Amino acid sequence: MSESRHPEAGVPLSAQVFQILLSLLDGDMHGYALIQDIRRRTDDEIVLTASTLYAAVKRLLGVGWIEEVEPEEPPPGHDERRRYYRMTALGRAAARAEAQRLQRLTDMARDKRLLGPLVTTPQPKGSR
Amino acid sequence: MTPVGRVAPRPSRTSRTFRAALRLLPSTFAATDARELAHIYDALDAEARRTRGWPGGALALARELPGLVHLVAREHAAAWRARRVRRVQLRRIASYQRPYSEDTSMIESLLQDVRYAARALRKNASFAAIAVATLALGIGANAAIFSVVNGVLLRPLAVRDPDRVVTVMSYAATQPPSVYGSSPANFMDLRRETRAVSQFAAFSTSLATVVGAGEPESFQAVTTVGDIFGVLGVRPLFGRTLTPNDDSPEAAPAVVLSHETWQRLYGEDRSVIGRTVTVNRKPRVIVGVMPPGFRFAAAPADLWMPEQWSSEYAANRDQYYLQIIARLRPGATVERFSAELETVATRLRTDHAEYNTDLHLRATSLQETIVSAVRPRLLMLMGAVAFLLLITCVNLANLTFARASSRHGEFAVRRALGAARGRVVRQLLTESVLLATAGGLVGIAVGAGLLRAIIAAERASLPRVDEITLDPVALGFTAMVSLLAGVAVGLLPAMRASTARSMEVIRQGTRGSGAHQRARSALVVVELAVALMLLSGAGLLLRSFGRLLAVNTGFETERLLTMQMSVGGKSTQAVEQSLERLRAIPGVRSAAVTSQLPVTGRGGGAWFNIVDRPTPPNETPPSEAYRVVSPNYFATVGIRLVRGRFLTPDDRVDHGPAVVVNEALAKKYWPGQDPIGKQIMLGAPGNYLNPASPIVGVVGDTPDGGLDNPPIPTVFMPMRVAPWWPVFTYVIRTSGPPEAVTPAVRRELRAAFSTVAIRNVQTMESVLHDSVAPARLSMRLVGAFAIVALVTAALGVFGVLSFVVAQRTRELGIRMALGAAPGDVRRMVIAYGGKLATAGLVIGLLGSFAVTRLISRLLFGVAPTDPLTFASVSAILLGIGVLASWIPARRATRIDPIAALRSD
Repeated sequence: MSESRHPEAGVPLSAQVFQILLSLLDGDMHGYALIQDIRRRTDDEIVLTASTLYAAVKRLLGVGWIEEVEPEEPPPGHDERRRYYRMTALGRAAARAEAQRLQRLTDMARDKRLLGPLVTTPQPKGSR
Repeated sequence: MTPVGRVAPRPSRTSRTFRAALRLLPSTFAATDARELAHIYDALDAEARRTRGWPGGALALARELPGLVHLVAREHAAAWRARRVRRVQLRRIASYQRPYSEDTSMIESLLQDVRYAARALRKNASFAAIAVATLALGIGANAAIFSVVNGVLLRPLAVRDPDRVVTVMSYAATQPPSVYGSSPANFMDLRRETRAVSQFAAFSTSLATVVGAGEPESFQAVTTVGDIFGVLGVRPLFGRTLTPNDDSPEAAPAVVLSHETWQRLYGEDRSVIGRTVTVNRKPRVIVGVMPPGFRFAAAPADLWMPEQWSSEYAANRDQYYLQIIARLRPGATVERFSAELETVATRLRTDHAEYNTDLHLRATSLQETIVSAVRPRLLMLMGAVAFLLLITCVNLANLTFARASSRHGEFAVRRALGAARGRVVRQLLTESVLLATAGGLVGIAVGAGLLRAIIAAERASLPRVDEITLDPVALGFTAMVSLLAGVAVGLLPAMRASTARSMEVIRQGTRGSGAHQRARSALVVVELAVALMLLSGAGLLLRSFGRLLAVNTGFETERLLTMQMSVGGKSTQAVEQSLERLRAIPGVRSAAVTSQLPVTGRGGGAWFNIVDRPTPPNETPPSEAYRVVSPNYFATVGIRLVRGRFLTPDDRVDHGPAVVVNEALAKKYWPGQDPIGKQIMLGAPGNYLNPASPIVGVVGDTPDGGLDNPPIPTVFMPMRVAPWWPVFTYVIRTSGPPEAVTPAVRRELRAAFSTVAIRNVQTMESVLHDSVAPARLSMRLVGAFAIVALVTAALGVFGVLSFVVAQRTRELGIRMALGAAPGDVRRMVIAYGGKLATAGLVIGLLGSFAVTRLISRLLFGVAPTDPLTFASVSAILLGIGVLASWIPARRATRIDPIAALRSD
């Protein structure tokens, strides 16, 4: 495949991919849960459909940023068709690289006083 | 697939729609992936419905769509890419391994070979195209010409035991050998006094007007004496053939029809037997119809009828017009029959010396008699086409050689992978067979087209032309020859490649060896030499044809309409009246009749007697040609008056007959003297054609024996002196295009003679055109062969030089790096091409001098060593050689020294 496995290679990441990676920081998740989590965290700003999620997941699997895992203990209501995904170290590095990139960008905006100083800004909903 | 779990107990309508849409994904899309996708969608769908009811489901589906379309497109693109990669890999594996797996059956491996060969050829399409095209031309041309040669010269006549059917030739000391024209009495004597033949017959041909069911029609009639059908050994389709009994003057006049005549006159009516038709105003009973395949090869024949001589006429010795045809008895030979004929001739020379001075007879086979005249021309074409085949073979060899050499590496890899040597060789063989088959198939089309063209052009000039068919044996034979040539030469490099130590060859890459270059150069020199030989032959024929067209015809050929009519039995007055009617047509300037058109042959001949120079007793007078014409014939046709006067309507039997002669006759009998006033008579004592008549004028010569023959001494008799002449050709001088008045002329002639048929309506220009048709066709065919040969040779030069340049890229690069100018490099390559062309030129010239001598009989007004022709064709060959070197030379100058040194 032509896509590189290197964490820096995909930067900047698409919003969907970045959000998937962010969601997986909390732990393994299946597809539908990913969609719901992202929607919840972004206040319906990013709503994945089944196809877009699938396409993104496939790309992430392809470059090795996430991997498919068996759930350690099948949660209640487990469905055979569900597949669980876990972020790899590579994925974590990629997400971090993207976050740093975004931070650099906001720093620049701040330097130019486009944004206020980073002091008392309330944390965005759903992030840590 | 039953949904498990609680998320989607039963897929909703929209879920089912989504699942259906998933089928648009390529088949390579994993089923588990699809299942997961469907599962996620089901969950989304259920959630949407839970919150917003069915519109929520619809909305979810709508939102899903763009992503789904994108996914489907992506997956298909990926699947296509994967398939292509796989195919290429498979092919690569197959090309090295598949033909060599030893556990396959014979047929299977053969099929593999064929498949692989087809693929290999497709991969190198330009090689295959050139090879197939030249093969097709070579095979097609050879098959067409050989079919003609076979149908005309070789294939036995369609009669029983054709080698036993013989004719009689005359070998007089003063004339070239010719078919013997016998008198009735001589025929009777020969028939009675020879024993070597079982049947002995004779025939003459004429134009006959048949009035049967409707309009009068003109037919080629064969008038027979004796058991001619017994000689030929053919049976009728139904009814009976003519027998010697029909020759009796008391027998009811009979006629036998050809199959075509029967069909034309009566449809397929079998009840015609016993019916009466009028042939030349004489009622005849139809006694039989011949089968469709029967051809009387000796002459065109639409119907046969017996002579029915009176006993008085049977004793005639001065009418020489019968062609003898006989069947040898079993065991008898042509030599024995010849000896018998000569014995009778010796007796006739003494017993009837006044008729038979210099009578010498010999027998030859009928086939020989029919085809001997066209043999030199057909053999020349056969030779030319054989050269074409040779060049085709050499070209194929050259191509195969080049290809095999450039594939050294491939062969070596195969050997390294464990292919048996025989298998590699077999692979090459299969490719050659495939090429030959393709070339043969296209060649059939080429040959069929060419043959059609030849037959159309030669219909009038070639005997047995309707017996010619495209010869499958010839096709097969030529394909085989080309194939063997390709295989033989292709095998050498293949063998070498298959024995070479693999790694060396692989490392060496595609660079060929010096031996290779020498071999290919030799082949190209052969191609050039053969091309030059064909070119000089074509050049000579072209020059000769030019000379032929430049011959002064001695009359005005333009705006002259001609048509033939059998007027036998009509009075001279009726003919004169018909001429008056024609002259009254607007657009007709003048109209006349002649017994024979100029340039169409000798016509009638008779003994030539000069009254004040009598032939000694016991000696036969010379025979000269004569023509019966209307008085204004010369003015109409435009023949020039040399001295004296033209004929007038007053020159007639009862009022002081007169004749006109041509210059050739005047020169022959009165060299340096004035022939005007000399009295002459044509014919034999007691049977003169005319009373003693003075020569009143001398007219210019016309090349009546054909443009390539000297004029024939001729006497012109006025129609009123020879009122018995039966068939005339009308010549009509028009003021506009002759075609414009044709309908009016036909109408007037039909009104004048209701019961005679008009035939051969032609302009004089088309008559002349036809008279040189064989020469034109020969020239065109050999010319076309020469052009093909030249192009092939040029391709050969181009190929070799391209190879040389590719092979010496490094050397040329070094030279250029060391300061050689592009001009120097270009000169070097062109000089090599020039060397090849010069070698081909020298060999080709030597060959040409040897070969063109053989066609000297077919040339007119040009020596077989014509310097101008040879200089021109040499210049053409050298020019083509340099031209073909130009592109490789230019390529050589564009070599980048650095890149050249870096490459392998």
